Amino acid sequence: MVDAKIRIRQLSYSYGGAEALREINLDVPANAVTAFFGPSGGGKTTLLRLINRLNDLVEGTRMQGTILLDGENIYAPGVDVPRLRRRVGMVFALPLPLPGTVRENVVCGPRLAGIRDWGRLEEILERSLAQAALWNEVKDRLDDPAVALSGGQQQRLCIARSLALEPEVLLLDEPTSGLDPISTAKVEESLFELKQQYTIVIVPHSVQQAARVADYAAFFLMGDLVEVQEGTRIFTTPQDPRTEDYVTGRFG
Amino acid sequence: MDSRFHQELEQLRVTILKMANLTEKAVENAFRALWERDVQLADAIIARDHEIDQLEMEIDRIILRLLALDQPMARDLRFLVGCMRISSDLERIADQAVSIAHRARYLSTRPALPKDPALRDLTETSLDMLHVTLSCFANLNVDQAMDVCLMDDAVDELNLLTLKNLMDYMIHEAPAIERGVQAIITARCMERVADHCTNIAESVVFIVRGVNIKHHCEPFQ
Ligand SMILES: Nc1ncnc2c1ncn2[C@@H]1O[C@H](COP(=O)(O)OP(=O)(O)O)[C@@H](O)[C@H]1O
Ligand SMILES: [Mg+2]
Repeated sequence: MVDAKIRIRQLSYSYGGAEALREINLDVPANAVTAFFGPSGGGKTTLLRLINRLNDLVEGTRMQGTILLDGENIYAPGVDVPRLRRRVGMVFALPLPLPGTVRENVVCGPRLAGIRDWGRLEEILERSLAQAALWNEVKDRLDDPAVALSGGQQQRLCIARSLALEPEVLLLDEPTSGLDPISTAKVEESLFELKQQYTIVIVPHSVQQAARVADYAAFFLMGDLVEVQEGTRIFTTPQDPRTEDYVTGRFG
Repeated sequence: MDSRFHQELEQLRVTILKMANLTEKAVENAFRALWERDVQLADAIIARDHEIDQLEMEIDRIILRLLALDQPMARDLRFLVGCMRISSDLERIADQAVSIAHRARYLSTRPALPKDPALRDLTETSLDMLHVTLSCFANLNVDQAMDVCLMDDAVDELNLLTLKNLMDYMIHEAPAIERGVQAIITARCMERVADHCTNIAESVVFIVRGVNIKHHCEPFQ
Protein backbone atom coordinates (compact mmCIF):
# COMPACT_ATOMS: atom_id res chain seq x y z
CA MET A 1 0.00 0.00 0.00
CA VAL A 2 1.32 3.39 -0.94
CA ASP A 3 1.51 6.29 1.46
CA ALA A 4 -0.22 5.03 4.62
CA LYS A 5 -1.79 7.86 6.59
CA ILE A 6 -2.59 5.61 9.53
CA ARG A 7 -0.66 2.51 10.54
CA ILE A 8 -2.18 0.12 13.05
CA ARG A 9 0.25 -2.38 14.55
CA GLN A 10 -0.47 -5.39 16.77
CA LEU A 11 -3.49 -3.63 18.21
CA SER A 12 -5.50 -5.53 20.81
CA TYR A 13 -8.24 -4.05 22.92
CA SER A 14 -10.60 -5.31 25.58
CA TYR A 15 -13.50 -3.99 27.61
CA GLY A 16 -13.10 -5.58 31.03
CA GLY A 17 -12.60 -9.25 30.29
CA ALA A 18 -14.07 -9.15 26.79
CA GLU A 19 -11.67 -8.85 23.86
CA ALA A 20 -13.05 -6.49 21.20
CA LEU A 21 -10.00 -6.44 18.90
CA ARG A 22 -7.22 -9.00 18.51
CA GLU A 23 -3.77 -8.22 17.09
CA ILE A 24 -4.93 -5.94 14.30
CA ASN A 25 -2.34 -4.91 11.69
CA LEU A 26 -3.63 -2.53 9.06
CA ASP A 27 -2.48 0.39 6.92
CA VAL A 28 -5.01 3.04 5.99
CA PRO A 29 -3.87 4.77 2.78
CA ALA A 30 -4.12 8.53 2.29
CA ASN A 31 -6.58 9.97 -0.25
CA ALA A 32 -8.71 6.88 -0.43
CA VAL A 33 -11.84 5.45 1.13
CA THR A 34 -11.17 2.50 3.41
CA ALA A 35 -14.22 0.55 4.56
CA PHE A 36 -14.35 -1.52 7.77
CA PHE A 37 -17.20 -3.96 7.36
CA GLY A 38 -18.52 -7.14 8.95
CA PRO A 39 -21.23 -8.35 11.32
CA SER A 40 -22.06 -6.19 14.32
CA GLY A 41 -19.95 -6.76 17.39
CA GLY A 42 -16.87 -7.22 15.20
CA GLY A 43 -15.00 -4.27 16.69
CA LYS A 44 -15.37 -1.74 13.87
CA THR A 45 -16.76 1.10 16.00
CA THR A 46 -14.21 0.37 18.70
CA LEU A 47 -11.39 0.70 16.18
CA LEU A 48 -12.75 4.00 14.80
CA ARG A 49 -13.05 5.36 18.34
CA LEU A 50 -9.50 4.32 19.14
CA ILE A 51 -8.24 6.24 16.09
CA ASN A 52 -9.36 9.53 17.56
CA ARG A 53 -9.04 8.53 21.21
CA LEU A 54 -12.75 8.67 21.97
CA ASN A 55 -12.37 5.65 24.24
CA ASP A 56 -9.93 7.38 26.62
CA LEU A 57 -12.61 7.85 29.24
CA VAL A 58 -14.15 4.38 29.05
CA GLU A 59 -13.14 2.59 32.24
CA GLY A 60 -11.69 -0.86 32.74
CA THR A 61 -10.29 -1.21 29.23
CA ARG A 62 -6.94 -2.52 28.13
CA MET A 63 -5.05 -1.63 24.98
CA GLN A 64 -1.90 -3.10 23.47
CA GLY A 65 -0.13 -2.18 20.25
CA THR A 66 0.14 1.15 18.48
CA ILE A 67 -1.73 3.47 16.15
CA LEU A 68 0.47 5.82 14.12
CA LEU A 69 -0.83 8.93 12.38
CA ASP A 70 1.75 10.18 9.86
CA GLY A 71 4.24 7.93 11.63
CA GLU A 72 3.58 9.30 15.12
CA ASN A 73 2.07 7.28 17.93
CA ILE A 74 -1.21 8.95 18.87
CA TYR A 75 -1.09 7.33 22.32
CA ALA A 76 2.39 8.61 23.15
CA PRO A 77 2.58 10.64 26.37
CA GLY A 78 2.16 14.35 25.77
CA VAL A 79 -0.05 14.04 22.67
CA ASP A 80 -2.45 17.00 22.43
CA VAL A 81 -5.78 15.12 22.27
CA PRO A 82 -8.02 18.05 21.25
CA ARG A 83 -5.61 18.80 18.42
CA LEU A 84 -5.64 15.12 17.40
CA ARG A 85 -9.45 15.25 17.23
CA ARG A 86 -9.28 18.27 14.96
CA ARG A 87 -6.97 16.35 12.65
CA VAL A 88 -9.19 13.26 12.83
CA GLY A 89 -12.89 14.12 12.51
CA MET A 90 -15.69 11.72 13.38
CA VAL A 91 -19.26 11.48 12.03
CA PHE A 92 -21.72 9.20 13.83
CA ALA A 93 -24.64 7.09 12.67
CA LEU A 94 -27.35 9.45 13.89
CA PRO A 95 -27.16 13.02 12.67
CA LEU A 96 -26.79 15.20 15.76
CA PRO A 97 -27.10 18.82 14.68
CA LEU A 98 -26.40 21.36 17.40
CA PRO A 99 -29.19 23.72 18.42
CA GLY A 100 -29.02 26.82 16.24
CA THR A 101 -28.95 27.63 12.57
CA VAL A 102 -27.30 25.83 9.68
CA ARG A 103 -24.60 28.53 9.63
CA GLU A 104 -23.93 28.29 13.37
CA ASN A 105 -23.58 24.52 13.16
CA VAL A 106 -20.79 24.79 10.62
CA VAL A 107 -18.87 27.77 11.97
CA CYS A 108 -19.01 27.03 15.70
CA GLY A 109 -16.02 24.66 15.47
CA PRO A 110 -13.69 27.08 13.67
CA ARG A 111 -14.89 29.86 15.97
CA LEU A 112 -14.01 27.80 19.05
CA ALA A 113 -10.67 27.14 17.42
CA GLY A 114 -10.08 30.90 17.47
CA ILE A 115 -11.07 32.05 14.00
CA ARG A 116 -12.90 35.37 14.35
CA ASP A 117 -12.58 36.88 10.90
CA TRP A 118 -16.09 37.06 9.43
CA GLY A 119 -15.00 36.69 5.80
CA ARG A 120 -12.84 33.69 6.67
CA LEU A 121 -15.76 32.02 8.46
CA GLU A 122 -18.06 32.57 5.45
CA GLU A 123 -15.42 30.99 3.26
CA ILE A 124 -15.18 27.95 5.53
CA LEU A 125 -18.99 27.76 5.60
CA GLU A 126 -19.33 27.60 1.84
CA ARG A 127 -16.37 25.27 1.29
CA SER A 128 -17.49 22.79 3.96
CA LEU A 129 -21.09 22.70 2.77
CA ALA A 130 -19.98 22.31 -0.83
CA GLN A 131 -17.62 19.45 0.04
CA ALA A 132 -20.44 17.71 1.87
CA ALA A 133 -22.60 18.06 -1.28
CA LEU A 134 -25.07 20.24 0.62
CA TRP A 135 -24.34 23.84 -0.45
CA ASN A 136 -26.80 23.98 -3.33
CA GLU A 137 -29.63 22.75 -1.15
CA VAL A 138 -29.07 25.08 1.80
CA LYS A 139 -27.42 28.20 0.46
CA ASP A 140 -30.72 30.06 0.80
CA ARG A 141 -31.53 28.55 4.17
CA LEU A 142 -28.35 29.28 6.10
CA ASP A 143 -30.27 31.02 8.87
CA ASP A 144 -32.93 28.33 9.24
CA PRO A 145 -32.71 26.09 12.30
CA ALA A 146 -30.58 23.02 11.53
CA VAL A 147 -33.28 20.71 12.84
CA ALA A 148 -35.57 21.94 10.05
CA LEU A 149 -33.43 20.12 7.47
CA SER A 150 -34.31 16.63 6.29
CA GLY A 151 -32.51 13.64 7.85
CA GLY A 152 -30.23 13.30 4.85
CA GLN A 153 -29.41 17.00 4.91
CA GLN A 154 -28.74 16.88 8.65
CA GLN A 155 -26.27 14.06 8.16
CA ARG A 156 -24.44 15.98 5.44
CA LEU A 157 -24.50 19.01 7.76
CA CYS A 158 -22.69 16.91 10.37
CA ILE A 159 -20.12 15.95 7.74
CA ALA A 160 -19.75 19.66 6.85
CA ARG A 161 -19.29 20.45 10.54
CA SER A 162 -16.40 18.00 10.72
CA LEU A 163 -14.91 19.35 7.49
CA ALA A 164 -15.05 22.93 8.80
CA LEU A 165 -12.21 22.03 11.15
CA GLU A 166 -10.06 21.06 8.17
CA PRO A 167 -9.30 17.56 9.40
CA GLU A 168 -6.85 15.28 7.62
CA VAL A 169 -8.80 12.14 8.35
CA LEU A 170 -12.55 11.67 8.40
CA LEU A 171 -14.04 8.72 10.30
CA LEU A 172 -17.66 7.86 9.47
CA ASP A 173 -19.53 5.27 11.51
CA GLU A 174 -22.55 4.05 9.51
CA PRO A 175 -23.26 7.62 8.40
CA THR A 176 -26.22 6.66 6.20
CA SER A 177 -27.88 4.02 8.34
CA GLY A 178 -31.01 6.11 8.90
CA LEU A 179 -31.16 7.74 5.48
CA ASP A 180 -33.34 7.21 2.41
CA PRO A 181 -31.65 5.95 -0.79
CA ILE A 182 -31.38 9.40 -2.40
CA SER A 183 -29.73 11.00 0.63
CA THR A 184 -27.51 7.94 0.92
CA ALA A 185 -26.43 8.35 -2.70
CA LYS A 186 -25.60 12.01 -2.04
CA VAL A 187 -23.46 11.18 0.98
CA GLU A 188 -21.70 8.47 -1.02
CA GLU A 189 -21.09 10.88 -3.88
CA SER A 190 -19.59 13.41 -1.54
CA LEU A 191 -17.08 10.74 -0.47
CA PHE A 192 -15.72 10.57 -4.01
CA GLU A 193 -15.03 14.31 -3.85
CA LEU A 194 -13.68 14.26 -0.32
CA LYS A 195 -11.12 11.52 -0.86
CA GLN A 196 -9.20 13.77 -3.26
CA GLN A 197 -8.24 15.75 -0.18
CA TYR A 198 -8.81 13.59 2.89
CA THR A 199 -8.19 10.12 4.21
CA ILE A 200 -11.55 8.51 4.78
CA VAL A 201 -12.49 5.54 6.91
CA ILE A 202 -16.11 4.45 6.79
CA VAL A 203 -18.10 1.73 8.49
CA PRO A 204 -20.74 1.21 5.80
CA HIS A 205 -24.27 0.18 6.70
CA SER A 206 -24.34 -2.70 4.21
CA VAL A 207 -22.00 -4.89 2.20
CA GLN A 208 -23.39 -3.29 -0.97
CA GLN A 209 -22.46 0.16 0.27
CA ALA A 210 -18.98 -1.09 1.14
CA ALA A 211 -18.63 -2.38 -2.42
CA ARG A 212 -19.79 0.94 -3.86
CA VAL A 213 -17.54 3.27 -1.92
CA ALA A 214 -14.42 1.35 -0.89
CA ASP A 215 -11.00 1.72 -2.44
CA TYR A 216 -9.79 -0.65 0.27
CA ALA A 217 -12.05 -2.94 2.25
CA ALA A 218 -11.26 -4.70 5.53
CA PHE A 219 -13.48 -7.47 6.85
CA PHE A 220 -13.79 -7.71 10.66
CA LEU A 221 -15.24 -10.72 12.40
CA MET A 222 -15.50 -11.00 16.20
CA GLY A 223 -12.44 -8.90 16.85
CA ASP A 224 -10.27 -10.33 14.09
CA LEU A 225 -9.27 -8.60 10.89
CA VAL A 226 -9.92 -11.47 8.50
CA GLU A 227 -8.97 -9.96 5.16
CA VAL A 228 -8.08 -6.64 3.51
CA GLN A 229 -8.19 -6.12 -0.23
CA GLU A 230 -7.84 -3.30 -2.68
CA GLY A 231 -10.77 -2.32 -4.90
CA THR A 232 -13.78 -4.56 -5.23
CA ARG A 233 -11.78 -7.77 -5.04
CA ILE A 234 -13.10 -8.70 -1.61
CA PHE A 235 -16.65 -8.59 -3.03
CA THR A 236 -15.97 -10.57 -6.22
CA THR A 237 -13.24 -13.03 -5.26
CA PRO A 238 -12.67 -13.00 -1.51
CA GLN A 239 -9.75 -15.13 -0.37
CA ASP A 240 -11.00 -16.25 3.05
CA PRO A 241 -14.02 -18.58 3.25
CA ARG A 242 -15.37 -16.57 6.22
CA THR A 243 -15.41 -13.43 4.05
CA GLU A 244 -17.05 -15.38 1.23
CA ASP A 245 -19.79 -16.65 3.58
CA TYR A 246 -20.46 -13.17 4.90
CA VAL A 247 -20.58 -11.27 1.61
CA THR A 248 -22.83 -13.91 0.04
CA GLY A 249 -25.22 -13.61 2.99
CA ARG A 250 -24.62 -17.14 4.26
CA PHE A 251 -24.34 -15.79 7.78
CA GLY A 252 -24.38 -12.47 9.63
CA MET B 1 -28.68 -22.59 2.27
CA ASP B 2 -32.33 -21.85 2.76
CA SER B 3 -32.66 -18.10 2.20
CA ARG B 4 -35.08 -17.22 -0.57
CA PHE B 5 -32.17 -15.96 -2.66
CA HIS B 6 -30.22 -19.18 -2.36
CA GLN B 7 -33.32 -21.21 -3.14
CA GLU B 8 -33.73 -19.18 -6.32
CA LEU B 9 -30.09 -19.76 -7.24
CA GLU B 10 -30.75 -23.49 -6.93
CA GLN B 11 -33.86 -23.08 -9.09
CA LEU B 12 -31.71 -21.32 -11.70
CA ARG B 13 -29.22 -24.19 -11.60
CA VAL B 14 -32.02 -26.68 -12.18
CA THR B 15 -33.36 -24.66 -15.13
CA ILE B 16 -29.94 -24.52 -16.78
CA LEU B 17 -29.48 -28.24 -16.27
CA LYS B 18 -32.81 -28.74 -18.02
CA MET B 19 -31.62 -26.59 -20.92
CA ALA B 20 -28.31 -28.49 -20.96
CA ASN B 21 -30.18 -31.76 -21.08
CA LEU B 22 -32.31 -30.69 -24.06
CA THR B 23 -29.24 -29.35 -25.85
CA GLU B 24 -27.35 -32.58 -25.28
CA LYS B 25 -30.31 -34.57 -26.69
CA ALA B 26 -30.48 -32.27 -29.73
CA VAL B 27 -26.80 -32.78 -30.50
CA GLU B 28 -26.98 -36.54 -29.98
CA ASN B 29 -29.99 -36.76 -32.26
CA ALA B 30 -28.41 -34.55 -34.91
CA PHE B 31 -25.38 -36.83 -35.01
CA ARG B 32 -27.63 -39.87 -35.20
CA ALA B 33 -29.74 -38.34 -37.96
CA LEU B 34 -26.55 -37.70 -39.89
CA TRP B 35 -25.07 -41.16 -39.56
CA GLU B 36 -28.32 -43.10 -39.81
CA ARG B 37 -29.64 -40.90 -42.64
CA ASP B 38 -32.83 -40.33 -40.66
CA VAL B 39 -34.86 -37.45 -42.15
CA GLN B 40 -37.66 -37.66 -39.58
CA LEU B 41 -35.27 -37.38 -36.68
CA ALA B 42 -33.62 -34.36 -38.35
CA ASP B 43 -37.04 -32.69 -38.74
CA ALA B 44 -37.86 -33.33 -35.09
CA ILE B 45 -34.70 -31.53 -33.95
CA ILE B 46 -35.49 -28.51 -36.10
CA ALA B 47 -39.07 -28.45 -34.81
CA ARG B 48 -38.08 -28.56 -31.13
CA ASP B 49 -35.34 -25.95 -31.11
CA HIS B 50 -37.71 -23.23 -29.91
CA GLU B 51 -38.01 -25.03 -26.55
CA ILE B 52 -34.33 -24.38 -25.94
CA ASP B 53 -34.70 -20.75 -27.04
CA GLN B 54 -37.57 -20.34 -24.58
CA LEU B 55 -35.46 -21.72 -21.75
CA GLU B 56 -32.62 -19.36 -22.60
CA MET B 57 -34.98 -16.39 -22.32
CA GLU B 58 -36.40 -17.68 -19.05
CA ILE B 59 -32.88 -18.07 -17.65
CA ASP B 60 -32.03 -14.50 -18.69
CA ARG B 61 -35.12 -13.25 -16.88
CA ILE B 62 -34.25 -15.14 -13.69
CA ILE B 63 -30.67 -13.88 -13.73
CA LEU B 64 -31.65 -10.25 -14.35
CA ARG B 65 -34.16 -10.39 -11.53
CA LEU B 66 -31.67 -11.88 -9.07
CA LEU B 67 -29.00 -9.33 -10.04
CA ALA B 68 -31.40 -6.44 -9.59
CA LEU B 69 -33.13 -7.56 -6.42
CA ASP B 70 -30.34 -9.21 -4.48
CA GLN B 71 -27.15 -7.48 -5.60
CA PRO B 72 -25.24 -10.71 -5.06
CA MET B 73 -21.57 -10.85 -4.14
CA ALA B 74 -18.54 -13.06 -4.57
CA ARG B 75 -19.29 -16.65 -5.57
CA ASP B 76 -23.01 -15.93 -6.05
CA LEU B 77 -22.20 -13.05 -8.37
CA ARG B 78 -19.74 -15.16 -10.32
CA PHE B 79 -22.32 -17.95 -10.53
CA LEU B 80 -24.89 -15.60 -12.07
CA VAL B 81 -22.45 -14.10 -14.56
CA GLY B 82 -21.15 -17.59 -15.40
CA CYS B 83 -24.69 -18.90 -15.91
CA MET B 84 -25.51 -16.03 -18.23
CA ARG B 85 -22.58 -16.99 -20.44
CA ILE B 86 -23.25 -20.70 -20.18
CA SER B 87 -26.88 -20.44 -21.25
CA SER B 88 -25.84 -18.41 -24.26
CA ASP B 89 -23.24 -21.06 -25.20
CA LEU B 90 -25.86 -23.78 -24.79
CA GLU B 91 -28.22 -21.93 -27.07
CA ARG B 92 -25.52 -21.70 -29.72
CA ILE B 93 -24.67 -25.37 -29.37
CA ALA B 94 -28.35 -26.13 -29.98
CA ASP B 95 -28.19 -23.92 -33.10
CA GLN B 96 -25.31 -26.05 -34.36
CA ALA B 97 -27.45 -29.13 -33.77
CA VAL B 98 -30.15 -27.54 -35.94
CA SER B 99 -27.62 -26.72 -38.65
CA ILE B 100 -26.33 -30.30 -38.59
CA ALA B 101 -29.94 -31.53 -38.80
CA HIS B 102 -30.41 -29.49 -41.99
CA ARG B 103 -27.26 -31.01 -43.54
CA ALA B 104 -28.36 -34.48 -42.40
CA ARG B 105 -31.69 -33.92 -44.10
CA TYR B 106 -30.01 -32.99 -47.36
CA LEU B 107 -27.35 -35.69 -47.28
CA SER B 108 -29.90 -38.42 -46.43
CA THR B 109 -31.69 -37.84 -49.73
CA ARG B 110 -28.52 -38.10 -51.85
CA PRO B 111 -26.08 -40.96 -52.52
CA ALA B 112 -23.93 -41.63 -49.46
CA LEU B 113 -20.44 -40.20 -49.28
CA PRO B 114 -17.70 -42.71 -48.49
CA LYS B 115 -17.40 -43.37 -44.74
CA ASP B 116 -14.70 -41.07 -43.37
CA PRO B 117 -13.07 -42.29 -40.13
CA ALA B 118 -11.95 -38.74 -39.34
CA LEU B 119 -15.54 -37.46 -39.43
CA ARG B 120 -16.59 -40.42 -37.29
CA ASP B 121 -13.89 -39.57 -34.73
CA LEU B 122 -14.86 -35.93 -34.87
CA THR B 123 -18.48 -36.82 -34.15
CA GLU B 124 -17.54 -39.02 -31.22
CA THR B 125 -14.97 -36.69 -29.72
CA SER B 126 -17.19 -33.62 -29.89
CA LEU B 127 -20.05 -35.58 -28.34
CA ASP B 128 -17.78 -36.87 -25.54
CA MET B 129 -16.65 -33.34 -25.01
CA LEU B 130 -20.22 -32.15 -24.63
CA HIS B 131 -20.93 -34.89 -22.05
CA VAL B 132 -17.84 -33.98 -20.01
CA THR B 133 -18.69 -30.27 -20.28
CA LEU B 134 -22.19 -30.72 -18.94
CA SER B 135 -21.01 -32.88 -16.08
CA CYS B 136 -18.30 -30.29 -15.41
CA PHE B 137 -21.02 -27.64 -15.04
CA ALA B 138 -23.46 -29.84 -13.11
CA ASN B 139 -20.81 -30.61 -10.49
CA LEU B 140 -18.84 -27.36 -10.86
CA ASN B 141 -15.83 -29.61 -11.34
CA VAL B 142 -12.73 -27.66 -12.29
CA ASP B 143 -10.68 -30.77 -13.13
CA GLN B 144 -13.14 -31.68 -15.86
CA ALA B 145 -12.88 -28.13 -17.22
CA MET B 146 -9.21 -28.86 -17.87
CA ASP B 147 -10.13 -32.08 -19.68
CA VAL B 148 -12.54 -30.16 -21.91
CA CYS B 149 -9.89 -27.64 -22.86
CA LEU B 150 -7.51 -30.43 -23.85
CA MET B 151 -10.16 -32.22 -25.95
CA ASP B 152 -10.73 -29.05 -27.92
CA ASP B 153 -7.28 -29.39 -29.53
CA ALA B 154 -8.13 -32.91 -30.73
CA VAL B 155 -11.40 -31.66 -32.22
CA ASP B 156 -9.62 -28.89 -34.11
CA GLU B 157 -7.23 -31.41 -35.63
CA LEU B 158 -10.00 -33.82 -36.59
CA ASN B 159 -11.90 -30.98 -38.24
CA LEU B 160 -8.87 -30.14 -40.40
CA LEU B 161 -8.33 -33.80 -41.26
CA THR B 162 -11.98 -34.20 -42.29
CA LEU B 163 -11.71 -31.10 -44.44
CA LYS B 164 -8.61 -32.47 -46.16
CA ASN B 165 -10.19 -35.89 -46.77
CA LEU B 166 -13.33 -34.35 -48.27
CA MET B 167 -11.35 -31.98 -50.49
CA ASP B 168 -9.24 -34.89 -51.81
CA TYR B 169 -12.42 -36.79 -52.55
CA MET B 170 -14.09 -33.85 -54.32
CA ILE B 171 -11.06 -33.27 -56.52
CA HIS B 172 -11.68 -36.72 -57.99
CA GLU B 173 -15.47 -36.80 -57.78
CA ALA B 174 -16.84 -33.56 -59.18
CA PRO B 175 -20.52 -34.64 -58.90
CA ALA B 176 -20.03 -35.04 -55.14
CA ILE B 177 -18.99 -31.42 -54.62
CA GLU B 178 -22.29 -30.24 -53.21
CA ARG B 179 -22.48 -33.15 -50.78
CA GLY B 180 -18.85 -32.63 -49.91
CA VAL B 181 -19.47 -28.98 -49.06
CA GLN B 182 -22.42 -29.94 -46.88
CA ALA B 183 -20.26 -32.48 -45.07
CA ILE B 184 -17.56 -29.85 -44.53
CA ILE B 185 -20.13 -27.52 -43.02
CA THR B 186 -21.25 -30.39 -40.79
CA ALA B 187 -17.72 -30.93 -39.52
CA ARG B 188 -17.39 -27.22 -38.92
CA CYS B 189 -20.62 -27.30 -36.84
CA MET B 190 -19.12 -30.04 -34.71
CA GLU B 191 -16.04 -27.96 -34.20
CA ARG B 192 -18.24 -25.03 -33.12
CA VAL B 193 -20.00 -27.28 -30.59
CA ALA B 194 -16.58 -28.04 -29.15
CA ASP B 195 -15.67 -24.33 -29.02
CA HIS B 196 -18.80 -23.53 -27.02
CA CYS B 197 -18.01 -26.46 -24.73
CA THR B 198 -14.64 -24.85 -24.06
CA ASN B 199 -16.36 -21.55 -23.25
CA ILE B 200 -18.65 -23.34 -20.79
CA ALA B 201 -15.68 -25.03 -19.12
CA GLU B 202 -14.02 -21.62 -18.79
CA SER B 203 -17.16 -20.22 -17.18
CA VAL B 204 -17.13 -23.06 -14.66
CA VAL B 205 -13.54 -22.21 -13.72
CA PHE B 206 -14.59 -18.57 -13.37
CA ILE B 207 -17.48 -19.52 -11.07
CA VAL B 208 -15.43 -21.81 -8.87
CA ARG B 209 -12.06 -20.08 -8.78
CA GLY B 210 -12.83 -16.50 -9.81
CA VAL B 211 -10.07 -16.57 -12.43
CA ASN B 212 -10.48 -15.85 -16.08
CA ILE B 213 -8.76 -18.45 -18.27
CA LYS B 214 -10.34 -17.30 -21.53
CA HIS B 215 -8.16 -17.54 -24.59
CA HIS B 216 -5.38 -19.41 -22.79
CA CYS B 217 -6.25 -22.89 -21.71
CA GLU B 218 -3.16 -23.33 -19.57
CA PRO B 219 -3.01 -25.40 -16.42
CA PHE B 220 -4.44 -23.33 -13.57
CA GLN B 221 -4.35 -23.63 -9.79
N1 LIG C 1 -18.47 0.67 25.97
C1 LIG C 1 -18.41 -0.68 25.91
N2 LIG C 1 -18.33 -1.42 27.02
C2 LIG C 1 -18.25 -2.76 26.97
N3 LIG C 1 -18.22 -3.48 25.84
C3 LIG C 1 -18.29 -2.80 24.68
C4 LIG C 1 -18.39 -1.37 24.64
N4 LIG C 1 -18.44 -0.98 23.34
C5 LIG C 1 -18.39 -2.12 22.60
N5 LIG C 1 -18.28 -3.20 23.39
C6 LIG C 1 -18.16 -4.60 22.94
O1 LIG C 1 -17.06 -4.71 22.05
C7 LIG C 1 -17.37 -5.56 20.95
C8 LIG C 1 -17.17 -4.79 19.64
O2 LIG C 1 -18.17 -3.79 19.55
P1 LIG C 1 -18.16 -2.69 18.42
O3 LIG C 1 -16.82 -2.09 18.35
O4 LIG C 1 -19.32 -1.78 18.70
O5 LIG C 1 -18.43 -3.57 17.13
P2 LIG C 1 -19.09 -3.17 15.72
O6 LIG C 1 -18.96 -1.70 15.54
O7 LIG C 1 -18.28 -3.97 14.74
O8 LIG C 1 -20.49 -3.63 15.78
C9 LIG C 1 -18.79 -6.02 21.17
O9 LIG C 1 -18.73 -7.31 21.74
C10 LIG C 1 -19.38 -5.02 22.13
O10 LIG C 1 -20.34 -5.61 22.96
MG1 LIG D 1 -20.55 -0.27 15.17
